[in-house]
Amino acid sequence: MAIITISRGSFSMGRLVAEKVAERLGYDIISREILLEASRHFNIPEIKLEKAIHDAPGILERYRHTKQAYIAYIRSALVERVVNDNVVYHGLAGHLLLKGIGHVLKVRINADFEKRVAYVMNRDGLSEDEARARLVEDDNQRRKWTYELYGHDPWDSAMYDLTIRIDRLSIEEAVGFICKAAQSSGFTASERSKQNLKDLALACHVKAELVADFPNIGVTCEYGNVIVYCKAGDRGGAKLGRRLDELKRKLAGIYSVEMHSGVPAPPDAV
Amino acid sequence: MESLTMEMVLVMSMIGLAIFLFIVEWVRVDVVAIIMMVTLPLLHLVSPKEAFIGLSSNAVVSIIAVIIIGAGLDRTGIINKLVAPVLRIAGNSASRIIVAISVTVAIISSFMQNIGAAALFLPAIQRIGEKQKIPLSRLLMPIGFSAILGGTVTLVGSSPLILLNDLLAPFGLEPFGLFDVTPIGLALVASGIGCFILLGKFILPGGDVNPEGEDNAEDDVGGKEKSALEEDEYYELSTPDDFTHYRDPLFVEDLRRRYLVTVLAITEPPDFKVVSPPPDMEVRSGIDLVVCGRKKDVVRMVENEGMILKDRLEKYSDTINPVKSGRVEAVVAPRSWLVGKTLKDVNLEGRFNVTPVSLYRHEESYRARLDDITLQVGDVITIHGAWKNLKNLQKEGGLLFGLPSDVDYMRPGKAAWAGAWLVVALVMIMGFKIQLSVSLMTGALGMILTGVLTIDEAYQSVDWRTIFLLGGLIPLGIATEKTGTAAWIAHTVLGLMGDVSPIVLLTVIGVLSTLFTLVISNVGATVLLVPLVVNMAMAAHTDPRMAALVVGLATSNSFMLPTHQVNALYMGPGHYRTIDFIKAGALISIVFIVVMIAMIRLVYGV
Repeated sequence: MAIITISRGSFSMGRLVAEKVAERLGYDIISREILLEASRHFNIPEIKLEKAIHDAPGILERYRHTKQAYIAYIRSALVERVVNDNVVYHGLAGHLLLKGIGHVLKVRINADFEKRVAYVMNRDGLSEDEARARLVEDDNQRRKWTYELYGHDPWDSAMYDLTIRIDRLSIEEAVGFICKAAQSSGFTASERSKQNLKDLALACHVKAELVADFPNIGVTCEYGNVIVYCKAGDRGGAKLGRRLDELKRKLAGIYSVEMHSGVPAPPDAV
Repeated sequence: MESLTMEMVLVMSMIGLAIFLFIVEWVRVDVVAIIMMVTLPLLHLVSPKEAFIGLSSNAVVSIIAVIIIGAGLDRTGIINKLVAPVLRIAGNSASRIIVAISVTVAIISSFMQNIGAAALFLPAIQRIGEKQKIPLSRLLMPIGFSAILGGTVTLVGSSPLILLNDLLAPFGLEPFGLFDVTPIGLALVASGIGCFILLGKFILPGGDVNPEGEDNAEDDVGGKEKSALEEDEYYELSTPDDFTHYRDPLFVEDLRRRYLVTVLAITEPPDFKVVSPPPDMEVRSGIDLVVCGRKKDVVRMVENEGMILKDRLEKYSDTINPVKSGRVEAVVAPRSWLVGKTLKDVNLEGRFNVTPVSLYRHEESYRARLDDITLQVGDVITIHGAWKNLKNLQKEGGLLFGLPSDVDYMRPGKAAWAGAWLVVALVMIMGFKIQLSVSLMTGALGMILTGVLTIDEAYQSVDWRTIFLLGGLIPLGIATEKTGTAAWIAHTVLGLMGDVSPIVLLTVIGVLSTLFTLVISNVGATVLLVPLVVNMAMAAHTDPRMAALVVGLATSNSFMLPTHQVNALYMGPGHYRTIDFIKAGALISIVFIVVMIAMIRLVYGV
């Protein structure tokens, strides 16, 4: 019983590895449909969400916080889907979006750059230079994205439980390693980690409901006790209070809501 | 009229900058003042000597002395001595209690800083409220407003009035005497208290100030959130013998975060009772614990964690006993050492063996993750502990709360000395016409020499923010006057207004000062407005001293928003909302201006 996130560079065979892992373990596999779900739920065109999760935030977006809002929607949809365990998620930032959950196995798949170039040339009929430029651009965008939003480099192996380079190791071997790791005791869902995931789902939901109007809030949840962190003297304080009252009535699982204004959001806040 | 010069434009820009910074609060008000103090000589708008002359002004020295005298009075417990006879006179009637305490606070406040008087009385008011079953929301606002109004009774009652004579000096105008403002101040205090007594039920949250004293504490809540003190109960629980089997370790802090319940005491196996346990203490199998919280939260915890809820306190009936321990609502005092720290930094459990239960601030009650909250002045922390531990916490200072047993730990023996030195200072001012600063400093020195407070305590009591706020803004006043900016603005404004009668002019000045004091500090408003209104009054052939006096008084007219220090302090414990201040404050502000103008006309015949 585990959740596996597979982060990958483009054309690194990550999708294939993910599909085979899911097949071997009998887990569900999710990726793009998260965007679909989020776009349905929050009425945002899928293309915008796709862009949000792919491109690094521009200067204007950093000011308008649209990207943070879209990420909050995607995160909420993702956490909602994985809450029942036995899921393989392959896509950008799964390891960051599910941060703090004990039974999430965070995997990074890399591939030899030259092989990636050859694959792109072959698949899309590009010249070597074009394929190389495209991959470099792609990698840079992803690096920038993760850095801008989370302050991490996706190539930093310290952020993963397992980093596999598909080169001398075959896809089958990589799948074998991942399945073995997922079945080890360290990634068994405990009562506490399940509760943490439930709480994370609720915090993400609350954040997604509020982020459009209050982009700078942080939300934590512990056993249904939701705390919303906002700036001191926020002019929207009263409005936020009313929205929280509404949410408390609307969302199942919320036991209490507190608004901590002027208190910096803790690192575990979403 | 003089034409607009480059210097005037620069001064007006600096005034604009100061007002802007006062409003947006990017830096603290005293820092704004220091910015002015440094920038004005750099721009050659004042000489270097003038830039720092504020620090040695009569006003600043007087304020230092007033603060030391106030601290001396505070330390001798003279206030507690005053409260008892006042209450005897007042009896049980809520309105008589309000009148009696308000008058006392106003008198005290007329000789010390308003915020000092307000803070000094808060624990006494809490005790009275509890004893007489009068909700604090009915008591605190009238008393807080009286503390502010009391500042208008003498010339040393508030910073603007202390400052007034210094601001009049450059114009060669006759300075005001200590009690010149007293008739006006007394009328203002009387009208303020009168408003609350007559119209209390319309303007006070929670309704009427019951004239018959048949108050009922329960009817006040009126839909507002109940405080932890009213809602929480004590429960004793035990854990089964297999409690820690097959589960992650559970800590005291976890129970608060997950169930909003505070552990007050817990057994460390085999049977060691730990009172006010540290947050990282583990809840073990087969032990007893006492928690404080709402019933529904405790029941939820018991169900989820498989604990056993006892019918009543058993093992801990001796420890958690009203005779030995209890809860208080402690208010973070102005200039408290706790301000800016989190409860985690303060570590009340470890240092004082008491436990914070909840925190109340700006209409919000906090129970979860209390430790991360950075404390502010006026925050109300509900704390449980043994009375003797709470007394130790009280001695430490920084938190204002009353305890059931009023043991004077202070220096009651020195009360006579403190009173005597205050009288000496007053006699010097009134009898011998010695300058305010010299007389007050003599009183302060006397208190130090006779051991009412030590010189170090005196230094510590001085609020450097106030000193630099005054000292830093005085050069701005000098620049406004020296460069002719004040005269230019005054003539321009008068040109726009046309001919007006003195009363209308003074009323306009009063309204203007009131508006200024709501957005920028009262000292800032006084320094900026006095040179201006003196020039206006001279040009309009009105008594310029009266115009200055209106500014000095009306800058205390700060009731409509909880921005005044006193209002900010009382907002938390009174569970007031901003709208409560707007409602009551609007009425008091209008009455203030009407009474002030009427009294100036009556007393000075303007």
